[in-house]
Amino acid sequence: MRRRAAAAAGGAIALVAALGACSENTGEGTTVDTDRKQTGVIATDPKDSQGPAAEVAGAQKGGTFTIIRETPISHLDPQRTYSFAGLMASPLFARYLTTWKDDGKGGLVLVGDLAETPGTNVNNDCKVWEFKVKDGVKFEDGTPITSKEIAYGIARSFDPDLTGGPTYVQEWLADTAQYDTRWDFKANKTSLPPGLSTPDPKTLRFEFAKPRCDLPFAVSLPTTAPLKPEQDTGVNLDARPFSSGPYKVAKNQVGVQLTLDRNPHWDPKTDPVRHQYPDQFVWTFGPTADAAVNRVIADNGADQSAISFNFVPASLVARVAQDAALKQRTILSPTPSANQLVINTQRVKDLKVRQALNYAIDRDGLIKALGGQTVAQPLTTLMPPATIGYKAYDAYPAGANGNVDKAKELLGGQTPELVLGVADNTTEQQMATQLKGNLERAGFKITVRNIPDDAKLDEIKKKDNPWDLYIGNWAADWPSGASILPVLYDGRSIKAEGNSNQSYFNDAAINAEMDRILALPPAQQGPEWGKLDERIMKEHAPVVPLFVDVAYAAHGSKAGGVFISSVFGYPSFVNAHVKP
Amino acid sequence: MSLSPVEGVALAEIESGGDAGAEKGFVGRSPGQLAWARLRRDRTAVVSGAMLLFFVVVALAVPLIEMAYGIGPREQFQNRLDGFGMPLGYAGGVTGEHWFGLEPGLGRDIFIRMVHGLRTSLFIAFAAAVITAAIGIVLGTVAGYLGGWVDAVVNWVTDLTLAMPFLIIALALTPTLALRFYGQREAVPPAFQIGVLVAIFALFGWTSTARLVRGQVIALREREFVEAARAAGAGLGHMLFRQLLPNIWAPILVSFSLAVPAYITSEAALSFIGVGLTDETPSFGRMIYRSLDYLQTDPAYVFFPGVTIFALVFAFNLFGDALRDALDPKSSR
Repeated sequence: MRRRAAAAAGGAIALVAALGACSENTGEGTTVDTDRKQTGVIATDPKDSQGPAAEVAGAQKGGTFTIIRETPISHLDPQRTYSFAGLMASPLFARYLTTWKDDGKGGLVLVGDLAETPGTNVNNDCKVWEFKVKDGVKFEDGTPITSKEIAYGIARSFDPDLTGGPTYVQEWLADTAQYDTRWDFKANKTSLPPGLSTPDPKTLRFEFAKPRCDLPFAVSLPTTAPLKPEQDTGVNLDARPFSSGPYKVAKNQVGVQLTLDRNPHWDPKTDPVRHQYPDQFVWTFGPTADAAVNRVIADNGADQSAISFNFVPASLVARVAQDAALKQRTILSPTPSANQLVINTQRVKDLKVRQALNYAIDRDGLIKALGGQTVAQPLTTLMPPATIGYKAYDAYPAGANGNVDKAKELLGGQTPELVLGVADNTTEQQMATQLKGNLERAGFKITVRNIPDDAKLDEIKKKDNPWDLYIGNWAADWPSGASILPVLYDGRSIKAEGNSNQSYFNDAAINAEMDRILALPPAQQGPEWGKLDERIMKEHAPVVPLFVDVAYAAHGSKAGGVFISSVFGYPSFVNAHVKP
Repeated sequence: MSLSPVEGVALAEIESGGDAGAEKGFVGRSPGQLAWARLRRDRTAVVSGAMLLFFVVVALAVPLIEMAYGIGPREQFQNRLDGFGMPLGYAGGVTGEHWFGLEPGLGRDIFIRMVHGLRTSLFIAFAAAVITAAIGIVLGTVAGYLGGWVDAVVNWVTDLTLAMPFLIIALALTPTLALRFYGQREAVPPAFQIGVLVAIFALFGWTSTARLVRGQVIALREREFVEAARAAGAGLGHMLFRQLLPNIWAPILVSFSLAVPAYITSEAALSFIGVGLTDETPSFGRMIYRSLDYLQTDPAYVFFPGVTIFALVFAFNLFGDALRDALDPKSSR
């Protein structure tokens, strides 16, 4: 009996292996379009900001569009929305002052959303900005949206209880990072924060102490979603946000399912980007990435009009990518999320060592270790290609696999001993193994030190952290150099803890150049950031640029109109529709 | 003076064997020799024992195998991977050079990593199983035989250990220990990680053996042969290890043979929550755990480690069974 069972088990395993072995892997597959570039900047023609949005070819009304995601959306309250899932869900039920008209191919135009234009720079000094609110914009109960409700939305974002959202507008208005102490929302619910005013119901006015040329970008974040004071339920707004967009919350089973129904008071003529094709949007939470992708691939029943918000996991990539029939049902697109091997310049002071690291890096091998071209694309610049004014360059040209000899030559026979701190999660462990092998071939001695996964980010943000190298990631909130280079490489902002400048790089000349560019009009800044990017890498090499994340999403055969947002790198649903 | 069951049956067998081979003369055989003879007669035991021996020899001969094979466990062959990091060619990149193919992603040789991993994993599992069995046997026999307050205390400690949350303590202890002995910039050597793993397993694993042994000893302690030994004035050590222990080897061996494969898989699971070994140290358990992600896309990667652990666990269990049968004087075979 036992022997027969053993034979059966052995036979089954042999069969599985035989099935796997019967096809030869010749290495052909999908490729990602990497050379696309961001075009257009801020709409100057007010017509661009007017609705309705252009019809999507082949789209029709009706049906239920399902989005499957492993974990719930952390916040639905627009003023607290900052997670990628939240930022992609929010446009369905919230409108902002400005928004991005995105063709999904890198063509981005910043247009007015509730505002008629993406802002008026009143004195051309970026200190005073005015927005005119459109006619005909309404809440889900039919009442019109005026500048008062938008201002109230911004005011409530000062509430220290409503944490989690972006803080740009608040910090700029208060001119301090401790904005909630500068102006207390709870004590002044009927007034407005300093610098914010509504001269009339159609006008919203921002006055800043310093030039804030990125304001039109910053108000494209959900902080500027309008809210009526009487509808403000405080922390409970998370469960049921009050809609100003094309859909409204019909039912929210927290952590399980979120159902959005059409909002009849949303007027397509006022909206330059959103559509209202499906009858319903349903967000389902729970299935793992593997399970969700397998479900949409299987394409049964309701899953035909579903998308997996979690990308195709590395373990399934080869199978999905090599199936020609699935090609129509996958979306592959580079994202603006850039990853670097951050060099702690406080510890690694020798520029030659930093340059040698840049020569030594084997990006091709690293990307293979991560799961290949559907997971990551090589990057040699500080800013990702999807940035306005991006300049393609490679300051340390060493080919796809790195140039070990050049690195050894720069090191001049010495063997720098560096400690690489990595989180103890699967991905970073894999990367650490790869980087150690790669860099040790080039003459470094690398010690891998594990950091508990949940503590890693906090630890490397501490100025006196004990590691020489660590893996860093930056996804900007808008595709402008101003939201990348000054944030990551301005040494004057270094504090004891919570640093974004994780290479602790500080150079007076670079700091001064940043100040000069920040004072330029927004439209002229782009190319200047591109030049500064190259200068930082050439002169200082504070990081080794590694790769940008690639979005690889799978959806059912009837899910249409989904594209990867050029701003956030996740599926956008403004054009989503259910195919007949 | 009545004999213990083991010796009694041994005598009976000797006598019955004596009838058939009267000409050869009377052959005196110890219980150990008898068990050995029975084991040799059992074909399952011979085959599974040979397999175990093979695994142990492979694990011990790692440096020789590596020398003959010519590839190290950390060498990467990423030029033999496609754009998705999957091995080129048939069955996960199996070639004359790479017998079991390559790991997807990092492109390391599966065969040599398996051989290395076998050594790590077998060492951890054996060490942990031996230590837990030793602690369990000593505490179990002492508690069962002496009873009274000793039994109460041992039981109380057992309950306390069982109540301690294994994962939480493992998670809390490992990084703290590593930090206690090594700075934030020092690599933690594999020997230390292995030691910590074995210690954690030993700390938590002894309870089941202790309870098992205690129960068996309680059942035996009022038997005539024990009373007889006690009446003859035998000391505690003699009572425990000469009188009681030989009669309860069978369940101990079975639990030991089940514990070894269980520790191999636990080691893998622990590696993945950041306790125990890092990716640098080749480990069999970790390899199996990682390969499961590729079940759909690179089944060959799952196949080789999967078949090996299947064979290993199967051989352990069969051999454990056979050993139990051989040692059990009441066994009919």
